[in-house]
Amino acid sequence: MAYNSYLYIVVFLGLTLLLYYAVPKRFRWIILLLASWVFYYLSSGNLIIYLLISTASVYICGLWLGRIIESYENAKASVPREERKAFSDRTARRKKLVVFLALLVNFGLLAFLKYSNFFADNANTISKLLNLNVLIRSRRITLPLGISFYTLMAASYIIDVYRGKCRADKNPARIALFLSFFPHIVEGPFGRYDHLAGQLYEGHPFSYRELTFGAQLIIWGLFKKIVIADRVNIVVKNIFANPQAYSGLFVILGVLFFTLQIYAEFSGAMDIVTGSAQMFGISLAKNFERPFFSRSVAEFWRRWHMTLGAWLRDYILYSVSLSKWFMKLSKFIKSRLRSGAGKTLPTIIPLFLVWLFCGLWHGASWKYVLYGMYYYAIMAAGMLFEPLFSRLCSALRINREGRLFRALQLVRTFILVNIGMLIFRAPQTGTAFSMLRSVFTGFNLGVLTNGALLKLGMDIHDYYVIAVGCVIMLVVSLLQEKGVSLRERIAEKNIAVRWCIYFAAIFAVIIFGAYGAGYNPVDFIYAQF
Amino acid sequence: MDKLLEILQDLKPGVDFALEDDLIEDGILSSLEIMTLVVELCSEFGIEISPLDIVPENFKSARAMHALITRLRDED
Repeated sequence: MAYNSYLYIVVFLGLTLLLYYAVPKRFRWIILLLASWVFYYLSSGNLIIYLLISTASVYICGLWLGRIIESYENAKASVPREERKAFSDRTARRKKLVVFLALLVNFGLLAFLKYSNFFADNANTISKLLNLNVLIRSRRITLPLGISFYTLMAASYIIDVYRGKCRADKNPARIALFLSFFPHIVEGPFGRYDHLAGQLYEGHPFSYRELTFGAQLIIWGLFKKIVIADRVNIVVKNIFANPQAYSGLFVILGVLFFTLQIYAEFSGAMDIVTGSAQMFGISLAKNFERPFFSRSVAEFWRRWHMTLGAWLRDYILYSVSLSKWFMKLSKFIKSRLRSGAGKTLPTIIPLFLVWLFCGLWHGASWKYVLYGMYYYAIMAAGMLFEPLFSRLCSALRINREGRLFRALQLVRTFILVNIGMLIFRAPQTGTAFSMLRSVFTGFNLGVLTNGALLKLGMDIHDYYVIAVGCVIMLVVSLLQEKGVSLRERIAEKNIAVRWCIYFAAIFAVIIFGAYGAGYNPVDFIYAQF
Repeated sequence: MDKLLEILQDLKPGVDFALEDDLIEDGILSSLEIMTLVVELCSEFGIEISPLDIVPENFKSARAMHALITRLRDED
C-alpha cells in the first residue's frame, strides 16, 4: 500500500484516525498496533513473520539484558573491593553475549534475506577464478517490507539498553509498536526507542491543530512526489535504461533529474509519513534539512537522510572508535605519526566501516559498495587535506567565510553529490563510469534548441510544471532556511485565505500530478530497501 | 584546562575556545571533529568516554568539556 495512494490516504489513514480517536485514550495504542500489523500484512502477507521474530528477539534479549544489569546493580555494593573488577568484567561479557545474540538474529535474517544471493554470486566468481567445482545456487527471495529499516531500529533498541541509555521494556506491545508503526516502517525515518516508544503508547487527545498541520504536510509531500518526482521519472528512466544512446547534456539532464526525483520523492515520503504521525499527535524524527544548501559533502550527509547518518554515527562510528582495541590502535598511530594525520586517522579508519555499511545498506551489489566508498574517499581526503587547504587559503588570503567562496562550496558539493547520484542510479558500476565519461565526449549545446529534449518522454508543459515546482520548492526551502515556519504562517491567516491555500495545494496535486494515462505508477525508491 | 585549550586550538586554529559557549549550535565543531577530539581526549587524559557522553551539552564549550573530563576522572 503506497503512501501516495488513495487507499492509504483516504481509506487506511482515515479509518485508523477515526478508530484511534473513537476509543478511550488508554486503548489507543491497540488501534495503532493493529493498524500497523494490518498495513504490514496487506503489503507483505506472511512475511510479517520476520517482523514478529525481530520483535520477539529484541524483547526477550532486552529483558535478559535488563536482568543482568539489575542483578549487577544490586550485587555491586556487596562484592569485596578486590573482586569488583572481575565481577564487572564478567557482567560486561554476559551483556555483550546477549547483545551479540540479538544482533545475530536480526542481522542474520537481514543478511539471509537481502544479501545471500550477493554473497553466493561473489563466492561463485571466486570459485570460478580458482577453478573450484563449487556452485552456490541463487534463490528467489522476497524481501519483507521495510526490513532494512526495522532491523536497524531493533538493533538500536538493544544497544541502547546495553549502553544504559534506556531501560529494558517489560511491555512487548510497546516494542512491537515501536518497530512496526505503519508511517515509519517502509522507509523511515529511523526512530529511537527513548524518543518514540512512549509517544506511540500513550493515547493522545484529539487536536485540530495537529490534524490540520499533519494534513498540510501530507499535501506538500504529495505535491513533491506526484507533481515533481513522478514526472521527471519518465526522462530518468529513458536515459538510464539506454545509457549508450545518450551523452553530454542528456546525461547531465538525466542525473540532475534523478537527483531532483530522489530528493522530491524521499523528502516527500518523509512529509507524508511525518504528517500521518502528526495527525495522531506523534512526532517523528526529522530526516531532511535542506541538504542542497550544504557547503561540504560531510554537511550534506548531516542534512540528507539524517536519521540514517545519526544511526551510523551512534552505533557504528562510536562503537568502533570508542572500543578499547581501537583506542590502543589510535595511540599507536599517534605515536608513529606526529603530524596532523596522526590525529585524523583514528577518525578516518572507522569511517571506512561506516561508509561500507552505508553503501551495502542501500543494496546488495558492488555498485552500492562503490557508492559508499565514493563518499568515504571524499570525506577522508577532506579531513586529511584540511590543514594543507587551510594554510593555502591563509597564504592566498582567501576568506573562507566570504560569499563567493561559500557559493563555490555549494556548487562543488552539488556537483559531487550528483556524481554520487549517478553511481547510485546507474544500472551497473561500469555504466556509471561510461556515462560520466560520455558527459565530456558527447557534449553538444545544440540539443537545447533542436527539440531533442522533447523526445525524452516529457513535453514542453511538463518542463514548465517541473520548473515552477522547483521554484516553489526553492522558495519554501529558502524561507525555512531563514527560520520561517510556513505552516505557522498559514495558521495565522483568516479562514478564507487559509482554505484558499489548502484548496490551491490540493488542486495543484490533482491537476498537475503525473498520474493516469501516459504515466506509470512509480514505486518509492527507498521503499525497495 | 590549559592542556584542553591547547588540544582544541590544535584541532581548530583561529577559534577562541575560552570564550565560545556554543560550539555545536554555532557549527564550529562538526560531529567528525568531535569524534577526533574524543579520541584525543581519551588518549591525553586517560579517560573512557562512552557513547552516552557524546552529547551537545558535554561538548558545547571548553568549560563543559573540562567538566566532563573532571567527572570521568573522578569516576575512574
